[in-house]
Amino acid sequence: MGFALLLSWFLSVMSRTPYPDVFGRIGFIALVLLLTYSAAGKLKPRWLSAGAARLGAVILMAPVAALVTALVTQRGNFVAYLAKTETLVGHVFLVVLSVIFGVLFSLVAMRNERKGRERADRLQIELEKNNLERELLDARLRLLQAQIEPHFLFNTLANVEALVAAGSPNAGPVLRHLIAYLRAAMPRLSDNDATLDAELQLVRAYLELMHLRIPDRLQFTVTPVPNAATLRFPAMALLTLVENAVRHGIDPGMEGGRIDVGGQWDDASGRLTLWVSDTGAGMSETAQPGTGLTNLRSRLKAFYGPTARLDLHDVTPHGVRVELNFLPGEPP
Amino acid sequence: MNPVIALIVDDEPLLRERLRAHLGTVWPALSRIDDARNGPEALELFELHRHQVVFLDIHMPGLNGIDTARALARRAHLVFVTAYEQYAVQAFEQGAVDYLVKPVDPARLADTVERLQRQLAGPLRADAALDAMLDQLAGRLGQRVRPQQWLQWIKASVGNSVRLIPVEQVHFMRADDKYTLVAWEEGEALIRKSIRELIEQLDPEHFVQTHRSVIVNLRCVSEVVRGINETAEIHLRGHDEVLPVSRTYLHHFRQM
Repeated sequence: MGFALLLSWFLSVMSRTPYPDVFGRIGFIALVLLLTYSAAGKLKPRWLSAGAARLGAVILMAPVAALVTALVTQRGNFVAYLAKTETLVGHVFLVVLSVIFGVLFSLVAMRNERKGRERADRLQIELEKNNLERELLDARLRLLQAQIEPHFLFNTLANVEALVAAGSPNAGPVLRHLIAYLRAAMPRLSDNDATLDAELQLVRAYLELMHLRIPDRLQFTVTPVPNAATLRFPAMALLTLVENAVRHGIDPGMEGGRIDVGGQWDDASGRLTLWVSDTGAGMSETAQPGTGLTNLRSRLKAFYGPTARLDLHDVTPHGVRVELNFLPGEPP
Repeated sequence: MNPVIALIVDDEPLLRERLRAHLGTVWPALSRIDDARNGPEALELFELHRHQVVFLDIHMPGLNGIDTARALARRAHLVFVTAYEQYAVQAFEQGAVDYLVKPVDPARLADTVERLQRQLAGPLRADAALDAMLDQLAGRLGQRVRPQQWLQWIKASVGNSVRLIPVEQVHFMRADDKYTLVAWEEGEALIRKSIRELIEQLDPEHFVQTHRSVIVNLRCVSEVVRGINETAEIHLRGHDEVLPVSRTYLHHFRQM
């Protein structure tokens, strides 16, 4: 940029006055103004914008630089040089030219700089958009893969077998919970047909099964949410949170705990808050965040728009509460 | 021969009962079967009664199955029980120890019992292969837990609740009187941890201290502007705040 500025400066002025000494003086002035331009951007006071500082400095420095060239070239004749009308007019002309071109090229340079910054910003936004799209695609792909954890499935089946062998009247209901869970957890092609009601049923089925397996360590409630039957909801979103609560909250501790699932509408804003709260082991500050939460966050935003939120809260004395907050009416 | 007593260790009561029922059929000579819900309970019971045979679930709360096995390995005959633990089954198949898969198949259990009866006739061997297998198993199951221990969550009071803020959402932290201000994607909060404590706990790959009282998330830095006298200013993406870089910490940005 600096070189181009210098060169074009030379050429444009050269075409008007092609004398070697003028050439030298112009070159010197150009150099001084270029340095001034760069320095003003760095050393400017806080209250001044970079653009104003640069323009001001260039305008101030142009006559000074011209005067210095006059001093150097004329030396002893300096006073005579300034006294003579003809050369004085020439000098003033030189100063005016310096100011005009200095300002002109500063403006061009600043415009280029701004354009460069804008391009960098555009690239950044593009990059972020690409990342978001990739995350979403990843999330969809995972949805297509089977979600059923073999450890969970076979342990549950072993429990069902035990109930059947014992002739327990619980065997039938438990099998139905398992079937409901498996049906919901099967890979699916799209989120579009899933409702919050179906999700709450899935969560209840899962928790019933877990409660059957470890009745002394897991208690739970699933509170109905008004209007859940007609509310579109990304499949498996609550289940992911409940599975996390079991795996990281209930499983590690010998005492276990309780899991509460519920929701509340805010009438004023029309937003819905859903929560999965546990009184389990709680989260250590160094616990590696799984990809599950990050994926869920991006899926929620894709589903309900950018104002959808997923927050984690600490539960006293121990446990974690995850809240989803979104406006169901928003277009995806 | 002394009467043989056995211990079943599993956190799921129905499965304990089922195994107990099977053992009653397949091994009627067992004089007694005890139950434990977890590792510590198992060890406590074992110290009291010295069971010759222990059936052990690997996936359990508290002291896990592997640690419990280590504590018992040279004092009792072990049989592992698992529903589905891919790595575990791989380790068992190398033959160092007997194992059962849930739900337990009575015919398979009969084989195990026969083998146990043969072993009980001889002395309990100190088995190096078993130790090796337990190490291997611990390593494989341990793969799911990363050893790295950087701070991942900031606990901060927001309103009347304590938020868990993922550190990657944090833009910067700045000392604020007795507290530290945390600015993240959704707002600001004050925490009690000091800048000095935080910088030691945060992953240095992403967080650097730029000033006595400031830590910045490098992923949020949009521009570093060099100032006079060996200082600089940091501009953040999506944030108006301009943060200072003092001389002491300028080396973080020399190459940037």
